[in-house]
Amino acid sequence: MLKWIKQLDRILRGEATRLPALRQGTIDVEARHLAVVLVVLGMLYGLCMGLFSVIASGGKDYRQMLACTIKVPLLFFLTLLVTFPSLYVFNALVGSRLLIRSVLRLLVASLGVMLAVLASFGTIVAFFSVSTKSYHFMVLLNVLVFAVSGFLGLAFLLQTLHRLTISEEGESQPPAPVPADEPAEGSLPDRAEPSPDPAPQGALDAIEGRVLGHHVKTVFRIWVILFGLVGAQMGWILRPFIGNPSSAFAFFRPRTSNFFEAVFNSLGSVLGR
Amino acid sequence: MHPFLLSADDLLRGGPWATRSARPVRVLLHLGAFVCVFGVLYGGVMGAFAGITGQRLLQVIYSALKVPLLLGVTFLVSLPSFFVLNTLAGVRDDFAQALRSLAATQAALTLILASLAPFTALWYASNSDYQSAILFNALMFAIASVSAQFLLKRFYRPLIRRNRNHRWLMRAWLVLFAFVGIQMGWLLRPFIGDPDAPTSFFRQDMWGNAYEYVARMIWHVVAR
Repeated sequence: MLKWIKQLDRILRGEATRLPALRQGTIDVEARHLAVVLVVLGMLYGLCMGLFSVIASGGKDYRQMLACTIKVPLLFFLTLLVTFPSLYVFNALVGSRLLIRSVLRLLVASLGVMLAVLASFGTIVAFFSVSTKSYHFMVLLNVLVFAVSGFLGLAFLLQTLHRLTISEEGESQPPAPVPADEPAEGSLPDRAEPSPDPAPQGALDAIEGRVLGHHVKTVFRIWVILFGLVGAQMGWILRPFIGNPSSAFAFFRPRTSNFFEAVFNSLGSVLGR
Repeated sequence: MHPFLLSADDLLRGGPWATRSARPVRVLLHLGAFVCVFGVLYGGVMGAFAGITGQRLLQVIYSALKVPLLLGVTFLVSLPSFFVLNTLAGVRDDFAQALRSLAATQAALTLILASLAPFTALWYASNSDYQSAILFNALMFAIASVSAQFLLKRFYRPLIRRNRNHRWLMRAWLVLFAFVGIQMGWLLRPFIGDPDAPTSFFRQDMWGNAYEYVARMIWHVVAR
């Protein structure tokens, strides 16, 4: 298990997506092992998210928390399940050299970034769950946290795709040198010499280089938007996550309304309308 | 001067020992000790609004404990997300130094607060209006926070020079810390102690939400 977490750590540090590591045209991670870690992280966040319902019920009702613990990982994997087939088909259609396994690894790695960020916000969400009574505030806070982690995960996806295209097209081309940082205040003696070991690239840092295969990038860009929309609606279908204290426990709610309308309603009610 | 105070003086001048030491754990403990000692100092003064005799002495003690609690717990709650963001930005190797910079800023914040405590005492002595006492303390906290930012920037300068990502990470930290800190401050009320209310560690109606409260207030003003 510790080894599997190390894999996630390599992704987060950007080691797994450095240019030399991508030469084989795929990310060197084991998708299955990583998926297990992701489920655990999702469950952790689900616990923090579901804590609100336990507090709201006076510490008596743990069902909503359990449901939420299951639902958070489910949300991510179901969204992936819905969007993956079309992505792969269109990706192949526009002539990408990414094989199905590479696409899957890329997506699981992106989910890794998303869930790691999400789980790391768990402490803050848990703190607010304990200290606030306002259901609508919790809805907005969770939407914000999900949006931030989703945004970072998808940024990682696009950046890695960009790097994959560079490394695919320029097998012999060395990685672009990192632009020198801010002018130093005379404390670095040998600034004229090129540094032998450039600052390590983060997982989200942009890399200069020719962008080829822009059809593939277009497909992925559209997919990123699609993923966000499907994810939001999937979250709506799987609701309740947080559990409105004024309604009874239910594993699912009836099919009404949609995600965006609900967020606007919550916003209105926090503003006191 | 006592070595403890001497090192506090050095910290305010951006002393390099705070961020570049061979013994990081020791430095963190040292900085934590600053937060406790100087936080207790300001908190004690802050809680003395309704007097320091009899029951009211309890309020002084409570407030003294609450200031380090407020800063420490907020710090711990915000830390995990900051850690992951650092990793994601590719600057995990600098995290130990970043952590010490943040802790040093916290310590400096309490130092500045403690230095402002006499003003608070003077205000209390010259004015018995509870609302104005709240505003005055808010002003002191604001001054201390803004001043501490300069130190944070100084501590972060070598990091930013090494990697530009540290710049937005520092901003992200400030946003996170303020977001959690405001709610934590709300939760830990009362700090000052309303003379008309009984002494207590927590308010009876503590399960409120600072942001909702503020949003409602704004809405009432706008919709009036």
